[in-house]
Amino acid sequence: MKGEGKIDVTAELENPYDDGSGGAAADAPLAAVAAARDLNELNDVRVRYLGKKGMLTARLKELGALPPEERKVAGQAINRDKQTLEAALAERRAELERAAVDAQLAGESLDVTLPGTRPAGGGLHLLTLVTNRLLDVFTSLGYEVVTGPELETDHYNFGALNFPPEHPARDTQDTFWTTDGRLLRTHTSPMQVRYMETHEPPFKVVVPGKVFRNEAVDTTHEAQFNQLEALVVGERITMADLRGAIEEMALALMGPGTKTRLQPSYFPFVEPGAEFAIWWTNPRSGKEEWLELGGCGMVHPRVFEAAGYENVTGFAFGFGIERLAMVPHGVTDIRYFYQSDLRVLRQFRGNL
Amino acid sequence: MRVPLSWLQELFDEPLPATDDLVELLDGLGLAVETVHHLPAIAEGVIAALVETVEPIAGSDHLKRVEVSYPGASVQVVCGAPNVAPGMISALALPGAVLPGLPAAVGNRTVHGVDSDGVLASPKELGIYDHAAGIIEFGTDVTPGTPLADMWQAETAIELELTPNRADAFSILGVARDLGAKLGWRVKHPSDGLDKGDPEVDDGLGIDVQDEAGSPRFTMRRIDGVRVGPSPLWLQRRLAALGLRPRNNVVDVTNFVTFELGQPSHAYDLRELSRGVIEVRRARAGESLTLLNNETIELDADDLVIATPGEGAEPSRTVGLAGVMGGLDGSVVADTTTVALEVALFETVTVRRSGQRHKLVTDARTRNERGVDPNLQPLASARAAALIAEVAGGVVHEGVSAVGADMRRAPVRLRAERVGYLTGVEIAVGDQQRYLEALGCRVESSVTTAPDTEFEVEPPSWRYDLELEVDLIEEIARLHGYEHIGSTVPEMRFVPPDADPTHRLLRHRLAAMGLQETITYVFTGESELARSNSPQAVVRLASPQGQDRAVLRTSLLPGLLASAQLNHDEESLALFEVGRVFLDEEVERLGLLSRGASELGVWRPDVPGDFYKFKGLLESLAGLSGVEVELRPGAAPQLHPGVAAEVFWDGRYVGHLGRLHPEIEARYELGETFVAELALPLDARRVRFAEFSRQPFAERDLAVIAPERITYAELAQLCSAAAGEQLESIEPFDVYRGSQLAAGTRSVALRFRFRSQERALTDEQVDTAMANVIRAVRDAGYDIRA
Repeated sequence: MKGEGKIDVTAELENPYDDGSGGAAADAPLAAVAAARDLNELNDVRVRYLGKKGMLTARLKELGALPPEERKVAGQAINRDKQTLEAALAERRAELERAAVDAQLAGESLDVTLPGTRPAGGGLHLLTLVTNRLLDVFTSLGYEVVTGPELETDHYNFGALNFPPEHPARDTQDTFWTTDGRLLRTHTSPMQVRYMETHEPPFKVVVPGKVFRNEAVDTTHEAQFNQLEALVVGERITMADLRGAIEEMALALMGPGTKTRLQPSYFPFVEPGAEFAIWWTNPRSGKEEWLELGGCGMVHPRVFEAAGYENVTGFAFGFGIERLAMVPHGVTDIRYFYQSDLRVLRQFRGNL
Repeated sequence: MRVPLSWLQELFDEPLPATDDLVELLDGLGLAVETVHHLPAIAEGVIAALVETVEPIAGSDHLKRVEVSYPGASVQVVCGAPNVAPGMISALALPGAVLPGLPAAVGNRTVHGVDSDGVLASPKELGIYDHAAGIIEFGTDVTPGTPLADMWQAETAIELELTPNRADAFSILGVARDLGAKLGWRVKHPSDGLDKGDPEVDDGLGIDVQDEAGSPRFTMRRIDGVRVGPSPLWLQRRLAALGLRPRNNVVDVTNFVTFELGQPSHAYDLRELSRGVIEVRRARAGESLTLLNNETIELDADDLVIATPGEGAEPSRTVGLAGVMGGLDGSVVADTTTVALEVALFETVTVRRSGQRHKLVTDARTRNERGVDPNLQPLASARAAALIAEVAGGVVHEGVSAVGADMRRAPVRLRAERVGYLTGVEIAVGDQQRYLEALGCRVESSVTTAPDTEFEVEPPSWRYDLELEVDLIEEIARLHGYEHIGSTVPEMRFVPPDADPTHRLLRHRLAAMGLQETITYVFTGESELARSNSPQAVVRLASPQGQDRAVLRTSLLPGLLASAQLNHDEESLALFEVGRVFLDEEVERLGLLSRGASELGVWRPDVPGDFYKFKGLLESLAGLSGVEVELRPGAAPQLHPGVAAEVFWDGRYVGHLGRLHPEIEARYELGETFVAELALPLDARRVRFAEFSRQPFAERDLAVIAPERITYAELAQLCSAAAGEQLESIEPFDVYRGSQLAAGTRSVALRFRFRSQERALTDEQVDTAMANVIRAVRDAGYDIRA
């Protein structure tokens, strides 16, 4: 029965270790391994057979009593049984450990379809988002960004910008005067003068900011709104450069296929002066049309004179931000921008 | 200003382009088209009819039974118009006619038992101009029985939004001049060939201009034998197309010429001018004037007035506010037979000031304050006088009274090369000259060698806006067409400084931390400032849009609090605003507000907001900016006295942070609310790398019992100073108050962490440091909690 080659270990281990006490201990060792339900039970099985007082250990101890030739054969058999049992124990241990992990993981499982716990709902104002987009465009084109006071003087808002005193040109900008004779700026153009007072050409600068007009408020008119103003001064700046700048902005905002239109107009601080529009696809109507944006022109020589500049030319253009926020985003009433209603504000958060 | 196209057409031999093309041409010239009005003809089924008899209807206070006739018919209608009178020629809408201003087709009706077989119609009912207070009245040029649809035809009128520099374009003639220049067409001046009168012939009129600066040019023309009455239909139709209401033939002519030539005028009844003399002078103290609109104004010494001398001892009487509006006394009335026609030039600012002072906006003021062609008065006088004689009968006197003379504008030098220099478009020298001449300039070449050609350009008298070389360049570019302007990008050596004046980074960080940006109005009300305990207003608006918008904000809090109140339905709210406030100086601020169950950064409805989270937000911000922020107890009127701190950003005071004062919370119906308002910019520091320690740290805990009034910051400062150089940090981990402690004291548990840059610290070293801390605490009079 202890022949060469393969040995039916299972069969070998069937009964010889039955100590006759019955119960679990009476099970065949391999069956006991297989029957162990957890790591503790498995450990009990190991101790029962391979522990210091285990049955296999005991048989090894008995070897000494055998004659030498039998001892060798018996010893080999016991060792073989021991290895077989150890392998079975290891396999079962691995099995039980895996099961324990599986059980733990199963207990930890979550319903991934329940809503997430979200970070607080912060966001930027739509006007800030649109302004930032514009500032990105202009800074990428090499413009400096500056800001200036909202409470201005007649000099900066009108006088230095070549608005003659007591001229109807002033009526085009209904002004909020203060009781002390100052005013809320009606456009961002005062910063043209302020910037030129403290800088030397050449330069390219943009000015975003709030402006104010004392006119009746309705869905498209607010007493407070925002403008962006650009001013470029250098040695030989032309109207074509003005158009180029507007075109680059249009390209950045609207993508390829846009175009620009200039039409003669009048703003006291530029000459020649123009209104500009850009060609775009109105997302609301899907129609291609001109979006009339704002005013522009070549800086008036009297504005340069006031700044003490000589032998330079320059262009300026300015436009309202609200329109660029309302039309593409479908905001129907300009008053929403300043009412602080969360139901409006939280619709636009931006790429934070 | 409206330009009826049939009128514009009269000034050209060539047919006008189609309306769409015309609109594009005008837009391209800078005469921006606002709207195109399609004005209807008088409806079919409306005929001219003569009013025969008018009788009151018993039982009605205003309705009348009116017999009207036209050849071959007599019709009875009921009419309520106050102006219906026998002998009048009006418009009769026959049954079946559909009028724009009537809800239903005209039918046969019975009113108060009187049959009415048609409607005598008002201009509004006819849909031709806005006047409903009476039926339309025609002159004898309209024959009863004529279908009016044939005579009062449809019209297209282009509404221009003129820029204030284009004084010259406030007339049909002015628009025609620009269009003619663009198209190369000749403009027919309506005054061509008319008799301007002989100044040598005595016409019995006198002009006494006592203020030449106020009125550099003044003309009077006499028309005798005038019969005042309704204007002929063509004239009524012209005025209606302008949106004006016809009055009578004489007044209508003056209005017509105002729009045709851009020259306002006024017709006086000669009987009202003593000795036929007109004075032009500044108003005298205490003088008043009742205007044509029945309004009486108190004149100012700066007002330029038209007056007539008093008889004998009487003082002179004012009859008009120069260039703005005529007076009620002295103007043409129904029985006027001799008209003295004033056509004058007034100084622009004088007219503007009078108009502003007395809040009068008239067609005359609009033109006079922008500048009327200073050479136009004799021409316009001739045109108006001839028209009055034509439509009201009468004879224009062969004499004329006039002061002042034609002027020429100062020549402007134009360097041809500058046109391309400024516009980027090369326009041939010959074309430049052609464009300028087409606009009425006299052009002479002073230097003729290309490319240095120079022109001496004398602008036409009607162009106030051509003073400088750039003005001429714009004219050339305008006629050439802005569509020819190219698109280039200038080369420029300019490197913008790296700055963030709009605080983009700050806004992004706050939004990412869970705050919503808001933008509120800079205007607020005194009561709103008081409601939020904000500083009193410093800057007040002279004419605000209401008391709640009468002053400029002195704090961002009123806006944020109003937002919080508006959004009271929100479970939680965390807002910020970056904006300017107006104290003695205009300063830029950051305002923060947090209310409700918002844990900034992580949203969990079970965690209420609290002060330390709000403060932590600021600490996070400071960390991102590479600076320290420190809060020191400090009261502010807007804050809860026990939860109020001054904020020191990188060691500099920038504002306050704390819980809103419960009184204010109650006023805005808010629960516990935290706010902060800080001066911007919140500076950042460039981060400098520091070599870090590779050594392990050692920690010790210590609980210090001290009076409540001793702040954590003070305790930490005391311990930190005593702990020696190896102290890395102190953090509080518990604050305990309770029965085991004396009343008015608390225990603050601190965790000290020690670490050396060079070597592992021994227990002895750390124990020594802690012994020093304990000694310092005891020396300061505080206890150590066992």
